[in-house]
Amino acid sequence: MAKDIYVFVECKDGTIRKASLELLSKARELTEKTFSNVYAVAVGFGMNEIAEDLKFFADKVIIVDNQDLKDYRWDTYRGVLEYIIKKYNPFMVFGVATATGKDLFPRLAARLNTAIIADAIGIEYEGEEIKVRKPFFGGKILSWMAFRHGIAPVITFRPNSFAIEKRQTGGEIVEETVEIKKDPRLTTLKLNKGSNHKVDLQEADFIICGGRGMKGSEHFRILEEIAYIMNGRVGASRAVVDSKWREYDDQVGKSGKTVAPKVYIGCGISGALHHTMGMDTSKTIVAINKDPNAPIFQYADYGIVDDLFAILPALKEELKKTKEEN
Amino acid sequence: MKILVFIKHVADTEARILISSDKKTLEIENKYTMSFFDEFAVEEALRIKEKLKEGQVVVCTFGNKKAIEALRTAVAMGADSAFLIDNTDMENDDPMVNAKVLSGFAKREGFDLILCGRQAIDDENACLGPMIAEFLDIPHVSTITKLEIIEIKKILVESEIEGGTALTEVQLPALLTVQKGLNEPRVPLITGVMKAMKTAVPVVDPSEFGIIKNELNNESRTYVLSYEPPSGRPPVKIVEGEAADIKVKNLIELLRNEARAI
Repeated sequence: MAKDIYVFVECKDGTIRKASLELLSKARELTEKTFSNVYAVAVGFGMNEIAEDLKFFADKVIIVDNQDLKDYRWDTYRGVLEYIIKKYNPFMVFGVATATGKDLFPRLAARLNTAIIADAIGIEYEGEEIKVRKPFFGGKILSWMAFRHGIAPVITFRPNSFAIEKRQTGGEIVEETVEIKKDPRLTTLKLNKGSNHKVDLQEADFIICGGRGMKGSEHFRILEEIAYIMNGRVGASRAVVDSKWREYDDQVGKSGKTVAPKVYIGCGISGALHHTMGMDTSKTIVAINKDPNAPIFQYADYGIVDDLFAILPALKEELKKTKEEN
Repeated sequence: MKILVFIKHVADTEARILISSDKKTLEIENKYTMSFFDEFAVEEALRIKEKLKEGQVVVCTFGNKKAIEALRTAVAMGADSAFLIDNTDMENDDPMVNAKVLSGFAKREGFDLILCGRQAIDDENACLGPMIAEFLDIPHVSTITKLEIIEIKKILVESEIEGGTALTEVQLPALLTVQKGLNEPRVPLITGVMKAMKTAVPVVDPSEFGIIKNELNNESRTYVLSYEPPSGRPPVKIVEGEAADIKVKNLIELLRNEARAI
Protein backbone atom coordinates (compact mmCIF):
# COMPACT_ATOMS: atom_id res chain seq x y z
CA MET A 1 0.00 0.00 0.00
CA ALA A 2 1.23 3.43 -0.86
CA LYS A 3 2.27 5.41 2.17
CA ASP A 4 1.70 8.85 0.73
CA ILE A 5 2.14 11.81 3.05
CA TYR A 6 0.01 14.92 2.58
CA VAL A 7 1.37 18.19 3.89
CA PHE A 8 -1.00 21.09 4.45
CA VAL A 9 0.95 24.14 3.28
CA GLU A 10 0.55 27.46 5.02
CA CYS A 11 1.25 30.68 3.17
CA LYS A 12 1.92 34.16 4.45
CA ASP A 13 1.98 37.34 2.37
CA GLY A 14 1.91 35.29 -0.82
CA THR A 15 4.88 33.10 0.07
CA ILE A 16 5.11 29.59 1.43
CA ARG A 17 5.89 29.49 5.12
CA LYS A 18 9.29 28.08 5.93
CA ALA A 19 7.81 25.63 8.42
CA SER A 20 5.70 24.06 5.64
CA LEU A 21 8.79 23.56 3.48
CA GLU A 22 10.43 21.83 6.45
CA LEU A 23 7.54 19.38 6.62
CA LEU A 24 7.63 18.73 2.87
CA SER A 25 11.36 18.01 3.13
CA LYS A 26 10.91 15.59 6.02
CA ALA A 27 7.95 13.93 4.27
CA ARG A 28 10.17 13.33 1.27
CA GLU A 29 12.78 11.58 3.38
CA LEU A 30 10.09 9.34 4.89
CA THR A 31 8.32 8.53 1.62
CA GLU A 32 11.59 7.63 -0.13
CA LYS A 33 11.85 4.68 2.25
CA THR A 34 8.41 3.40 1.25
CA PHE A 35 8.50 4.34 -2.45
CA SER A 36 5.56 6.63 -1.89
CA ASN A 37 4.71 10.21 -2.77
CA VAL A 38 4.62 13.56 -1.03
CA TYR A 39 1.54 15.68 -1.73
CA ALA A 40 1.57 19.39 -0.96
CA VAL A 41 -1.93 20.69 -0.32
CA ALA A 42 -2.23 24.46 -0.69
CA VAL A 43 -5.50 26.25 -0.06
CA GLY A 44 -6.17 29.93 -0.69
CA PHE A 45 -6.77 32.50 -3.39
CA GLY A 46 -4.42 33.38 -6.26
CA MET A 47 -2.23 30.31 -5.82
CA ASN A 48 -0.41 30.05 -9.18
CA GLU A 49 2.99 31.22 -8.02
CA ILE A 50 2.77 29.22 -4.83
CA ALA A 51 1.92 26.12 -6.85
CA GLU A 52 4.97 26.64 -9.10
CA ASP A 53 7.25 27.04 -6.09
CA LEU A 54 5.78 23.98 -4.39
CA LYS A 55 6.58 21.76 -7.37
CA PHE A 56 10.17 21.62 -6.17
CA PHE A 57 9.16 20.29 -2.79
CA ALA A 58 6.52 17.66 -3.61
CA ASP A 59 5.67 14.90 -6.08
CA LYS A 60 2.18 16.28 -6.44
CA VAL A 61 0.80 19.69 -5.60
CA ILE A 62 -2.92 19.89 -4.92
CA ILE A 63 -4.22 23.42 -5.25
CA VAL A 64 -7.62 24.63 -4.12
CA ASP A 65 -7.92 28.20 -5.37
CA ASN A 66 -11.07 30.10 -4.46
CA GLN A 67 -11.88 33.66 -3.50
CA ASP A 68 -13.73 32.41 -0.42
CA LEU A 69 -10.49 30.82 0.82
CA LYS A 70 -8.50 34.05 0.78
CA ASP A 71 -8.53 34.31 4.57
CA TYR A 72 -8.23 31.28 6.80
CA ARG A 73 -11.34 30.13 8.67
CA TRP A 74 -11.59 26.71 10.29
CA ASP A 75 -14.99 26.04 8.77
CA THR A 76 -14.02 26.59 5.13
CA TYR A 77 -10.55 25.06 5.39
CA ARG A 78 -11.86 22.07 7.32
CA GLY A 79 -14.37 21.44 4.55
CA VAL A 80 -11.67 21.54 1.89
CA LEU A 81 -9.27 19.26 3.74
CA GLU A 82 -12.03 16.83 4.62
CA TYR A 83 -12.88 16.60 0.92
CA ILE A 84 -9.23 16.08 -0.10
CA ILE A 85 -8.55 13.48 2.58
CA LYS A 86 -11.69 11.50 1.77
CA LYS A 87 -10.96 11.63 -1.93
CA TYR A 88 -7.24 10.77 -1.83
CA ASN A 89 -7.05 8.63 1.30
CA PRO A 90 -3.57 9.64 2.54
CA PHE A 91 -1.40 7.50 4.79
CA MET A 92 -0.60 10.49 7.02
CA VAL A 93 -1.37 14.21 7.13
CA PHE A 94 1.20 16.76 8.33
CA GLY A 95 0.59 20.33 9.43
CA VAL A 96 2.46 23.01 11.31
CA ALA A 97 1.58 23.70 14.95
CA THR A 98 1.06 27.42 14.35
CA ALA A 99 -1.96 29.47 15.43
CA THR A 100 -3.72 28.27 12.27
CA GLY A 101 -2.62 24.65 12.65
CA LYS A 102 -3.67 24.52 16.29
CA ASP A 103 -7.09 25.89 15.37
CA LEU A 104 -7.69 23.69 12.35
CA PHE A 105 -6.21 20.23 12.84
CA PRO A 106 -7.85 19.15 16.12
CA ARG A 107 -11.24 20.06 14.67
CA LEU A 108 -10.42 18.22 11.44
CA ALA A 109 -9.20 15.13 13.32
CA ALA A 110 -12.39 15.06 15.38
CA ARG A 111 -14.45 15.46 12.22
CA LEU A 112 -12.68 12.51 10.61
CA ASN A 113 -12.62 10.61 13.88
CA THR A 114 -8.93 9.94 13.34
CA ALA A 115 -5.82 10.04 15.51
CA ILE A 116 -3.87 13.21 16.21
CA ILE A 117 -0.49 13.92 17.75
CA ALA A 118 -0.01 17.65 18.22
CA ASP A 119 3.08 19.80 18.69
CA ALA A 120 5.59 17.09 17.72
CA ILE A 121 9.26 17.73 16.96
CA GLY A 122 10.30 14.58 15.08
CA ILE A 123 9.15 11.47 13.23
CA GLU A 124 10.88 8.29 12.13
CA TYR A 125 10.14 4.88 10.75
CA GLU A 126 11.05 2.01 13.05
CA GLY A 127 10.69 -0.93 10.71
CA GLU A 128 7.18 -0.61 9.34
CA GLU A 129 5.93 1.48 12.22
CA ILE A 130 5.86 5.23 12.54
CA LYS A 131 7.05 6.79 15.76
CA VAL A 132 6.63 10.43 16.68
CA ARG A 133 8.84 12.54 18.92
CA LYS A 134 6.87 14.76 21.27
CA PRO A 135 8.07 16.80 24.25
CA PHE A 136 6.09 17.08 27.48
CA PHE A 137 6.36 19.42 30.47
CA GLY A 138 8.09 22.15 28.53
CA GLY A 139 10.80 19.82 27.25
CA LYS A 140 11.65 18.30 30.64
CA ILE A 141 10.51 14.95 29.23
CA LEU A 142 10.72 13.65 25.68
CA SER A 143 8.62 10.83 24.35
CA TRP A 144 8.26 8.56 21.37
CA MET A 145 4.60 8.07 20.57
CA ALA A 146 2.83 5.75 18.17
CA PHE A 147 -0.59 5.39 16.59
CA ARG A 148 -2.87 2.61 17.65
CA HIS A 149 -5.33 3.00 14.84
CA GLY A 150 -7.07 5.67 12.87
CA ILE A 151 -7.31 6.44 9.22
CA ALA A 152 -4.93 9.09 7.94
CA PRO A 153 -3.58 10.21 11.31
CA VAL A 154 -2.82 13.89 11.64
CA ILE A 155 0.47 15.17 13.08
CA THR A 156 1.30 18.81 13.75
CA PHE A 157 4.94 19.79 14.15
CA ARG A 158 6.62 22.79 15.70
CA PRO A 159 8.38 25.14 13.30
CA ASN A 160 12.16 24.62 13.07
CA SER A 161 11.87 20.85 13.55
CA PHE A 162 13.46 19.80 10.21
CA ALA A 163 15.93 21.01 7.59
CA ILE A 164 14.69 22.27 4.22
CA GLU A 165 15.79 20.55 1.04
CA LYS A 166 14.76 21.59 -2.44
CA ARG A 167 14.46 19.01 -5.22
CA GLN A 168 16.08 19.03 -8.63
CA THR A 169 12.92 18.17 -10.55
CA GLY A 170 9.44 19.54 -10.26
CA GLY A 171 6.29 17.61 -9.38
CA GLU A 172 2.89 17.77 -10.96
CA ILE A 173 0.15 20.31 -10.17
CA VAL A 174 -3.42 19.13 -9.71
CA GLU A 175 -6.20 21.65 -9.27
CA GLU A 176 -9.22 20.61 -7.24
CA THR A 177 -12.55 22.42 -7.08
CA VAL A 178 -14.34 22.13 -3.78
CA GLU A 179 -17.63 23.67 -2.77
CA ILE A 180 -16.97 26.18 0.01
CA LYS A 181 -19.40 26.24 2.92
CA LYS A 182 -19.22 28.92 5.57
CA ASP A 183 -20.64 28.32 9.03
CA PRO A 184 -23.42 30.96 9.35
CA ARG A 185 -22.90 31.08 13.11
CA LEU A 186 -19.54 32.84 12.70
CA THR A 187 -19.17 36.27 11.08
CA THR A 188 -15.71 37.76 10.65
CA LEU A 189 -16.12 41.50 11.18
CA LYS A 190 -12.52 42.62 10.97
CA LEU A 191 -9.13 41.08 10.27
CA ASN A 192 -6.05 42.91 11.42
CA LYS A 193 -3.17 40.96 9.96
CA GLY A 194 -0.48 43.21 11.33
CA SER A 195 1.47 45.44 9.00
CA ASN A 196 4.87 45.05 10.60
CA HIS A 197 5.92 42.03 8.50
CA LYS A 198 7.86 40.77 11.46
CA VAL A 199 9.20 37.25 11.24
CA ASP A 200 6.96 34.91 13.23
CA LEU A 201 8.59 34.29 16.62
CA GLN A 202 8.14 30.52 16.45
CA GLU A 203 9.42 30.37 12.92
CA ALA A 204 12.47 32.61 13.37
CA ASP A 205 15.93 31.07 12.84
CA PHE A 206 17.50 33.65 15.07
CA ILE A 207 16.03 35.02 18.29
CA ILE A 208 17.65 37.56 20.56
CA CYS A 209 15.77 37.70 23.80
CA GLY A 210 15.87 40.40 26.43
CA GLY A 211 15.25 40.04 30.15
CA ARG A 212 15.11 42.31 33.14
CA GLY A 213 18.81 43.02 32.72
CA MET A 214 17.90 45.16 29.70
CA LYS A 215 16.81 47.76 32.26
CA GLY A 216 14.06 49.41 30.18
CA SER A 217 12.11 49.32 26.94
CA GLU A 218 14.37 51.90 25.27
CA HIS A 219 17.33 49.50 25.36
CA PHE A 220 15.51 46.95 23.20
CA ARG A 221 16.33 49.07 20.18
CA ILE A 222 19.74 47.49 19.82
CA LEU A 223 18.18 44.03 20.03
CA GLU A 224 15.82 45.08 17.22
CA GLU A 225 18.83 46.18 15.17
CA ILE A 226 20.62 42.89 15.73
CA ALA A 227 17.47 40.91 14.90
CA TYR A 228 17.10 42.95 11.70
CA ILE A 229 20.67 42.19 10.62
CA MET A 230 20.10 38.47 11.24
CA ASN A 231 16.59 38.45 9.73
CA GLY A 232 15.37 37.20 13.08
CA ARG A 233 13.12 38.30 15.90
CA VAL A 234 13.34 39.90 19.30
CA GLY A 235 11.91 37.86 22.15
CA ALA A 236 11.27 38.81 25.76
CA SER A 237 11.02 37.19 29.16
CA ARG A 238 7.82 37.29 31.19
CA ALA A 239 9.21 39.95 33.54
CA VAL A 240 9.81 42.22 30.56
CA VAL A 241 6.30 41.71 29.19
CA ASP A 242 4.75 42.19 32.63
CA SER A 243 6.65 45.48 32.92
CA LYS A 244 5.12 46.47 29.55
CA TRP A 245 8.54 46.97 27.96
CA ARG A 246 7.47 44.58 25.18
CA GLU A 247 4.25 43.14 23.78
CA TYR A 248 2.92 39.76 24.88
CA ASP A 249 3.45 38.57 21.31
CA ASP A 250 7.22 38.59 22.02
CA GLN A 251 7.04 36.47 25.18
CA VAL A 252 9.07 33.26 25.25
CA GLY A 253 8.26 30.75 27.98
CA LYS A 254 5.60 28.65 29.59
CA SER A 255 2.89 31.28 29.37
CA GLY A 256 4.20 32.67 26.09
CA LYS A 257 5.60 30.90 23.06
CA THR A 258 7.76 27.82 22.78
CA VAL A 259 10.60 28.49 20.36
CA ALA A 260 13.41 26.41 18.87
CA PRO A 261 15.53 28.66 16.64
CA LYS A 262 18.95 27.78 15.25
CA VAL A 263 20.44 30.50 17.43
CA TYR A 264 18.97 31.84 20.63
CA ILE A 265 20.76 34.65 22.47
CA GLY A 266 19.53 35.51 25.95
CA CYS A 267 20.49 38.98 27.15
CA GLY A 268 20.12 39.83 30.81
CA ILE A 269 17.87 36.82 31.34
CA SER A 270 18.36 34.95 34.58
CA GLY A 271 16.91 31.70 33.25
CA ALA A 272 13.86 30.97 35.39
CA LEU A 273 12.25 27.60 34.59
CA HIS A 274 9.29 29.48 33.23
CA HIS A 275 11.52 30.90 30.51
CA THR A 276 13.82 27.96 29.81
CA MET A 277 10.80 25.68 29.25
CA GLY A 278 10.06 27.82 26.21
CA MET A 279 13.53 27.85 24.64
CA ASP A 280 15.63 24.89 25.75
CA THR A 281 15.15 22.96 22.51
CA SER A 282 16.92 25.74 20.55
CA LYS A 283 19.87 24.41 18.55
CA THR A 284 22.56 26.77 19.85
CA ILE A 285 22.02 28.83 22.97
CA VAL A 286 24.12 31.84 23.94
CA ALA A 287 23.70 33.57 27.28
CA ILE A 288 24.98 37.02 28.10
CA ASN A 289 24.71 37.98 31.74
CA LYS A 290 26.92 39.78 34.22
CA ASP A 291 26.05 37.29 36.97
CA PRO A 292 28.21 34.16 36.47
CA ASN A 293 25.77 32.18 38.65
CA ALA A 294 22.67 32.96 36.60
CA PRO A 295 20.80 29.68 35.93
CA ILE A 296 20.62 30.50 32.20
CA PHE A 297 24.24 29.35 31.89
CA GLN A 298 23.12 25.79 32.73
CA TYR A 299 21.08 25.79 29.53
CA ALA A 300 23.57 27.56 27.30
CA ASP A 301 26.22 26.30 24.89
CA TYR A 302 28.17 29.54 25.05
CA GLY A 303 28.21 32.19 27.70
CA ILE A 304 29.62 35.67 28.13
CA VAL A 305 29.89 37.03 31.64
CA ASP A 306 30.01 40.77 31.21
CA ASP A 307 28.02 43.98 31.08
CA LEU A 308 25.33 43.72 28.40
CA PHE A 309 25.68 47.30 27.33
CA ALA A 310 29.35 46.78 26.56
CA ILE A 311 28.71 43.52 24.69
CA LEU A 312 25.68 44.37 22.57
CA PRO A 313 27.19 47.15 20.39
CA ALA A 314 30.20 44.91 19.65
CA LEU A 315 27.89 41.99 18.91
CA LYS A 316 25.91 44.09 16.48
CA GLU A 317 29.05 45.15 14.59
CA GLU A 318 30.49 41.63 14.44
CA LEU A 319 27.22 40.08 13.22
CA LYS A 320 26.94 42.80 10.60
CA LYS A 321 30.44 41.99 9.36
CA THR A 322 29.66 38.27 9.29
CA LYS A 323 26.54 38.91 7.23
CA GLU A 324 28.39 41.15 4.79
CA GLU A 325 31.12 38.54 4.32
CA ASN A 326 28.57 35.85 3.48
CA MET B 1 -26.57 32.04 30.82
CA LYS B 2 -25.01 28.70 31.62
CA ILE B 3 -21.25 28.60 31.20
CA LEU B 4 -19.16 25.44 31.34
CA VAL B 5 -15.46 25.78 32.03
CA PHE B 6 -13.22 22.82 31.30
CA ILE B 7 -9.99 22.88 33.25
CA LYS B 8 -6.98 20.61 33.68
CA HIS B 9 -4.98 19.77 36.77
CA VAL B 10 -1.33 19.69 35.74
CA ALA B 11 2.09 19.20 37.26
CA ASP B 12 3.53 22.49 38.44
CA THR B 13 6.50 23.87 36.50
CA GLU B 14 8.72 23.19 39.52
CA ALA B 15 7.56 19.60 40.09
CA ARG B 16 10.24 16.94 39.76
CA ILE B 17 9.40 14.29 37.19
CA LEU B 18 11.02 10.86 37.17
CA ILE B 19 10.84 8.28 34.42
CA SER B 20 10.20 4.67 35.49
CA SER B 21 12.90 2.09 34.71
CA ASP B 22 10.84 0.56 31.89
CA LYS B 23 10.49 4.10 30.42
CA LYS B 24 6.73 3.62 30.15
CA THR B 25 5.42 5.74 32.99
CA LEU B 26 6.19 8.97 34.78
CA GLU B 27 6.38 9.58 38.47
CA ILE B 28 5.43 13.17 39.18
CA GLU B 29 6.16 14.95 42.43
CA ASN B 30 2.97 15.88 44.26
CA LYS B 31 2.93 19.52 43.17
CA TYR B 32 -0.06 20.24 41.02
CA THR B 33 -1.94 23.30 39.93
CA MET B 34 -4.71 24.45 37.62
CA SER B 35 -3.25 24.78 34.12
CA PHE B 36 -2.14 28.36 33.55
CA PHE B 37 -4.52 29.37 30.76
CA ASP B 38 -7.55 27.77 32.44
CA GLU B 39 -7.50 30.41 35.17
CA PHE B 40 -8.35 33.03 32.56
CA ALA B 41 -11.28 30.86 31.44
CA VAL B 42 -12.68 30.58 34.98
CA GLU B 43 -12.22 34.32 35.52
CA GLU B 44 -13.99 35.24 32.28
CA ALA B 45 -16.94 32.99 33.09
CA LEU B 46 -17.32 34.70 36.48
CA ARG B 47 -17.09 38.16 34.90
CA ILE B 48 -19.82 37.32 32.37
CA LYS B 49 -22.09 36.11 35.16
CA GLU B 50 -21.37 39.21 37.25
CA LYS B 51 -22.03 41.51 34.32
CA LEU B 52 -25.29 39.84 33.30
CA LYS B 53 -26.32 39.52 36.97
CA GLU B 54 -27.60 36.04 36.22
CA GLY B 55 -26.20 32.74 35.12
CA GLN B 56 -24.38 29.69 36.32
CA VAL B 57 -20.70 28.77 36.13
CA VAL B 58 -19.97 25.04 36.13
CA VAL B 59 -16.39 23.78 36.13
CA CYS B 60 -15.45 20.27 35.14
CA THR B 61 -12.33 18.22 34.57
CA PHE B 62 -11.58 14.76 33.32
CA GLY B 63 -8.87 13.63 35.68
CA ASN B 64 -7.95 11.62 38.73
CA LYS B 65 -9.07 12.25 42.32
CA LYS B 66 -6.25 14.73 42.91
CA ALA B 67 -7.82 17.02 40.31
CA ILE B 68 -10.52 17.91 42.86
CA GLU B 69 -7.96 20.44 44.16
CA ALA B 70 -8.06 22.39 40.90
CA LEU B 71 -11.86 22.25 40.89
CA ARG B 72 -11.92 23.62 44.43
CA THR B 73 -9.69 26.49 43.36
CA ALA B 74 -12.29 27.37 40.73
CA VAL B 75 -15.08 27.17 43.31
CA ALA B 76 -13.03 29.37 45.64
CA MET B 77 -12.79 31.91 42.82
CA GLY B 78 -16.59 31.85 42.59
CA ALA B 79 -17.77 29.00 40.37
CA ASP B 80 -21.23 27.69 41.32
CA SER B 81 -20.51 23.99 41.01
CA ALA B 82 -17.79 21.54 40.05
CA PHE B 83 -17.70 18.02 38.67
CA LEU B 84 -14.90 15.50 38.42
CA ILE B 85 -15.15 12.90 35.70
CA ASP B 86 -12.94 10.19 37.07
CA ASN B 87 -10.31 8.88 34.66
CA THR B 88 -8.92 6.19 36.97
CA ASP B 89 -8.11 3.04 34.93
CA MET B 90 -8.01 5.06 31.78
CA GLU B 91 -4.92 4.13 29.92
CA ASN B 92 -3.65 7.44 28.70
CA ASP B 93 -4.22 11.01 27.87
CA ASP B 94 -5.40 10.82 24.27
CA PRO B 95 -7.05 14.08 23.15
CA MET B 96 -9.71 12.15 21.21
CA VAL B 97 -10.84 10.30 24.36
CA ASN B 98 -10.79 13.43 26.53
CA ALA B 99 -12.79 15.40 23.98
CA LYS B 100 -15.40 12.65 23.66
CA VAL B 101 -15.85 12.42 27.41
CA LEU B 102 -16.09 16.17 27.97
CA SER B 103 -18.47 16.69 25.07
CA GLY B 104 -20.62 13.89 26.52
CA PHE B 105 -20.70 15.78 29.81
CA ALA B 106 -21.56 19.05 28.04
CA LYS B 107 -24.46 17.40 26.22
CA ARG B 108 -25.90 16.07 29.47
CA GLU B 109 -25.33 19.27 31.40
CA GLY B 110 -26.55 21.73 28.74
CA PHE B 111 -24.81 25.07 28.18
CA ASP B 112 -24.81 28.38 26.33
CA LEU B 113 -21.07 28.86 26.35
CA ILE B 114 -17.99 26.70 26.95
CA LEU B 115 -14.65 28.22 27.92
CA CYS B 116 -11.27 26.55 28.27
CA GLY B 117 -7.59 27.52 28.26
CA ARG B 118 -5.90 27.74 24.88
CA GLN B 119 -3.68 24.78 25.74
CA ALA B 120 -2.61 22.75 28.74
CA ILE B 121 0.89 23.55 29.89
CA ASP B 122 1.93 19.90 30.30
CA ASP B 123 1.30 18.54 26.80
CA GLU B 124 0.78 21.82 24.90
CA ASN B 125 -1.60 19.92 22.60
CA ALA B 126 -4.14 22.74 22.20
CA CYS B 127 -6.51 20.06 20.86
CA LEU B 128 -9.33 19.79 23.34
CA GLY B 129 -11.28 22.99 22.64
CA PRO B 130 -11.70 22.67 18.86
CA MET B 131 -12.33 18.91 19.20
CA ILE B 132 -15.11 19.34 21.76
CA ALA B 133 -16.68 22.02 19.55
CA GLU B 134 -16.60 19.61 16.61
CA PHE B 135 -18.22 16.80 18.62
CA LEU B 136 -20.92 19.20 19.82
CA ASP B 137 -21.32 20.73 16.35
CA ILE B 138 -20.95 24.27 17.64
CA PRO B 139 -18.69 27.09 16.41
CA HIS B 140 -15.42 27.83 18.20
CA VAL B 141 -12.90 30.65 18.32
CA SER B 142 -9.35 30.01 19.54
CA THR B 143 -7.10 32.23 21.68
CA ILE B 144 -9.56 35.00 22.46
CA THR B 145 -8.31 38.21 24.08
CA LYS B 146 -11.61 40.14 24.39
CA LEU B 147 -15.21 39.10 24.86
CA GLU B 148 -18.39 41.14 24.80
CA ILE B 149 -21.97 39.92 25.10
CA ILE B 150 -24.02 41.85 22.57
CA GLU B 151 -27.35 40.13 22.93
CA ILE B 152 -28.62 37.02 24.63
CA LYS B 153 -27.45 34.60 21.96
CA LYS B 154 -24.72 36.63 20.34
CA ILE B 155 -21.20 37.57 21.40
CA LEU B 156 -18.34 39.54 19.96
CA VAL B 157 -14.79 38.24 20.41
CA GLU B 158 -11.36 39.46 19.55
CA SER B 159 -8.86 36.68 19.01
CA GLU B 160 -5.25 36.16 18.06
CA ILE B 161 -4.69 34.85 14.58
CA GLU B 162 -1.46 34.25 12.65
CA GLY B 163 0.40 37.56 12.90
CA GLY B 164 -2.58 39.64 14.01
CA THR B 165 -6.07 39.74 15.45
CA ALA B 166 -9.60 39.00 14.29
CA LEU B 167 -12.93 40.40 15.40
CA THR B 168 -15.70 37.83 15.12
CA GLU B 169 -19.39 37.73 15.89
CA VAL B 170 -20.38 34.34 17.23
CA GLN B 171 -23.80 32.87 17.73
CA LEU B 172 -24.26 30.89 20.92
CA PRO B 173 -23.93 28.12 21.91
CA ALA B 174 -20.21 28.26 21.19
CA LEU B 175 -16.82 27.27 22.57
CA LEU B 176 -13.96 29.68 23.13
CA THR B 177 -10.36 28.99 24.07
CA VAL B 178 -8.78 31.81 26.02
CA GLN B 179 -5.42 33.51 25.78
CA LYS B 180 -3.45 35.35 28.45
CA GLY B 181 -4.41 39.02 28.42
CA LEU B 182 -8.17 38.38 28.35
CA ASN B 183 -8.40 39.35 32.02
CA GLU B 184 -6.55 39.24 35.33
CA PRO B 185 -7.64 36.12 37.22
CA ARG B 186 -8.73 36.95 40.75
CA VAL B 187 -7.11 35.53 43.83
CA PRO B 188 -9.75 33.67 45.84
CA LEU B 189 -10.93 35.41 49.00
CA ILE B 190 -10.77 33.55 52.28
CA THR B 191 -14.59 33.29 52.30
CA GLY B 192 -14.38 31.68 48.88
CA VAL B 193 -11.78 29.22 50.07
CA MET B 194 -13.98 28.32 53.07
CA LYS B 195 -16.95 27.78 50.76
CA ALA B 196 -14.84 25.66 48.43
CA MET B 197 -13.71 23.43 51.30
CA LYS B 198 -17.34 22.71 52.13
CA THR B 199 -18.52 22.27 48.56
CA ALA B 200 -19.09 18.67 47.59
CA VAL B 201 -17.45 17.82 44.29
CA PRO B 202 -19.51 15.05 42.69
CA VAL B 203 -17.52 12.34 40.95
CA VAL B 204 -19.18 11.43 37.71
CA ASP B 205 -18.67 8.22 35.80
CA PRO B 206 -18.64 8.62 32.01
CA SER B 207 -21.25 5.85 31.84
CA GLU B 208 -23.76 8.39 33.22
CA PHE B 209 -23.76 10.00 29.81
CA GLY B 210 -23.50 6.80 27.86
CA ILE B 211 -19.73 6.44 27.57
CA ILE B 212 -18.37 3.10 28.72
CA LYS B 213 -14.85 3.30 30.14
CA ASN B 214 -13.63 0.02 28.68
CA GLU B 215 -14.80 1.02 25.26
CA LEU B 216 -13.11 4.36 25.70
CA ASN B 217 -9.77 2.63 25.99
CA ASN B 218 -10.35 1.29 22.50
CA GLU B 219 -11.09 4.82 21.37
CA SER B 220 -7.61 5.89 22.36
CA ARG B 221 -5.75 6.43 19.10
CA THR B 222 -2.23 7.02 20.32
CA TYR B 223 0.10 5.65 22.95
CA VAL B 224 3.50 6.35 24.41
CA LEU B 225 6.26 3.96 23.37
CA SER B 226 8.79 5.42 25.76
CA TYR B 227 9.73 8.45 27.81
CA GLU B 228 13.25 9.73 28.12
CA PRO B 229 15.06 12.73 29.53
CA PRO B 230 16.33 15.24 26.99
CA SER B 231 19.96 14.69 26.12
CA GLY B 232 21.56 17.40 28.21
CA ARG B 233 23.79 19.98 26.68
CA PRO B 234 27.49 19.77 27.37
CA PRO B 235 28.56 22.25 30.05
CA VAL B 236 28.53 25.86 28.95
CA LYS B 237 31.68 27.29 27.39
CA ILE B 238 32.32 30.67 28.93
CA VAL B 239 33.89 32.81 26.25
CA GLU B 240 36.84 34.75 27.62
CA GLY B 241 38.67 37.86 26.42
CA GLU B 242 40.43 40.91 27.81
CA ALA B 243 37.65 43.25 26.77
CA ALA B 244 34.05 43.10 25.64
CA ASP B 245 34.85 43.31 21.94
CA ILE B 246 37.39 40.48 22.14
CA LYS B 247 34.83 38.28 23.90
CA VAL B 248 32.36 39.00 21.14
CA LYS B 249 34.94 38.24 18.42
CA ASN B 250 35.70 34.92 20.09
CA LEU B 251 32.00 34.13 20.41
CA ILE B 252 31.36 34.81 16.72
CA GLU B 253 34.33 32.59 15.85
CA LEU B 254 32.81 29.73 17.90
CA LEU B 255 29.32 30.25 16.46
CA ARG B 256 30.70 30.18 12.93
CA ASN B 257 33.27 27.45 13.07
CA GLU B 258 32.36 25.22 15.99
CA ALA B 259 28.57 25.38 16.25
CA ARG B 260 28.17 26.29 12.55
CA ALA B 261 25.15 28.22 13.64
CA ILE B 262 25.62 31.47 11.68
